[in-house]
Amino acid sequence: MSLETQLLLLAWGTLVGLDLVSVPQAMIARPIVAGPVAGAILGDLGTGLALGVLFELFQYDVLPVGATRYPEYGPATVAAVSAAHVAASGGGGALGIGLGALVGLVTGMAGGTSMHLVRRLNARATHAASERLEAGDTRVLVRLHVAGILRDTARAALVTALGLALAQLVRALVAGALTLRAVTLLDVAAVGGGIAAGAAGTLRVVGRGPNLRWFAAGVVGGAAVAWLR
Amino acid sequence: MTPALGKSLLRLFTVQGSYDYERMQGIGVGVAEEPLLRDLRAVANGGGGGAAYRAAVARGAHFFNAHPYLCGLAVGAAARAEHEGVPPEQVERLRAALCGPLGSLGDRLVWAGWLPLMSALALVGVALGTRWWAIIGFLALYNAGHVTLRWWALRAGWTYGIGVAAALHQPVLQRAAALSGPAMALAVGAALPLAAQYLSGAFTGWSRGALAVVAAGGFALLWWRRGKLTGVRFGLGLLAVAALAGGLWR
Repeated sequence: MSLETQLLLLAWGTLVGLDLVSVPQAMIARPIVAGPVAGAILGDLGTGLALGVLFELFQYDVLPVGATRYPEYGPATVAAVSAAHVAASGGGGALGIGLGALVGLVTGMAGGTSMHLVRRLNARATHAASERLEAGDTRVLVRLHVAGILRDTARAALVTALGLALAQLVRALVAGALTLRAVTLLDVAAVGGGIAAGAAGTLRVVGRGPNLRWFAAGVVGGAAVAWLR
Repeated sequence: MTPALGKSLLRLFTVQGSYDYERMQGIGVGVAEEPLLRDLRAVANGGGGGAAYRAAVARGAHFFNAHPYLCGLAVGAAARAEHEGVPPEQVERLRAALCGPLGSLGDRLVWAGWLPLMSALALVGVALGTRWWAIIGFLALYNAGHVTLRWWALRAGWTYGIGVAAALHQPVLQRAAALSGPAMALAVGAALPLAAQYLSGAFTGWSRGALAVVAAGGFALLWWRRGKLTGVRFGLGLLAVAALAGGLWR
């Protein structure tokens, strides 16, 4: 993979990471968007779509309410697509989704932890400026806000870089060493885990009330369409 | 739209840029409210040449936590109240009182409604082979709702001021909140089997059976251990077991 491609992925992952919480929450951070664009950058839209769908299912397990801590799947999906792509080209076979998921889930957890750290740094900066904030100093207020956005930008870039480095590591150490059976097992675990997480996460939100009937109707309808295709 | 409202709306798109565990969205809300408070700097408005403005800016940056798309409601309402000379304690009480309802409404309407609904439709689209159209459609439709909600919230807050609670009882909003749950449940329900079929397309033979067992068993485990086991931990654990099994089964 060329340096230009890596830099493009890094830039895309940074934008995606920034979008999740800070600016502008337009949901390019959703895996279903982040994945295909990363795939297009790599000239491998199929892998981008597959990882995008997989991580979108994992995303259903997350309800970002209040100050809860959750994994960050945007940059994680970018890294996962990169890993799946390099695994396939490095001898991992056409089914690189399992290795992609491995890199993506680790990156997602790192992303979640990094958000927590940035919030603590923001709190420290706010605390240090509290006197001037209480005096209504607009310049300090805006400076704090811009610094927070810059911190989040740096965080998103670092998380994406970590994910892309993990993807390269997978290519160097793991991809060629796995048998086809091992690769298939990883793929089964990734896809099975995604489906399970998506279904369980959705059911938690749906609950046992009247929406459960709508959910069941949807499952039946979706299964019928899948069967007929 | 007045220039001040336009600036405030633009700043609201960054409202969580400085999110922290002390004031939560407070700094972002203060930054978004500031353009609406600039008139207070004029002595003619009784601002005492800036004292009222500075005090209002300081209050605007105090603790606040709600759904980010609905923060505009509090921003507009608090700014209007400052203009109308509402006592500072009452402005603070208004902001505090809005946190819960705006958080709960936004979570129901957006995080547990509109967003998963649109995402599920995108998954269905991708699974049915529409590829980019599904992604473009998701971004366009989702953000049409997103931007409309942000703009509505700011305008409603600015219009109603201290009586902003009336805006939250608008029939359209109540109806949208009531419909978003069933629509989300139906759409995600439909998306799950189609996404599963899409992802399992490359599997043949024993791996299809293994996939069904892993998905069903995993779902049962996650449901049983809900609140304790998260999807990401479960996924990583499963991958670790698969890697070990792959190493042993040669």
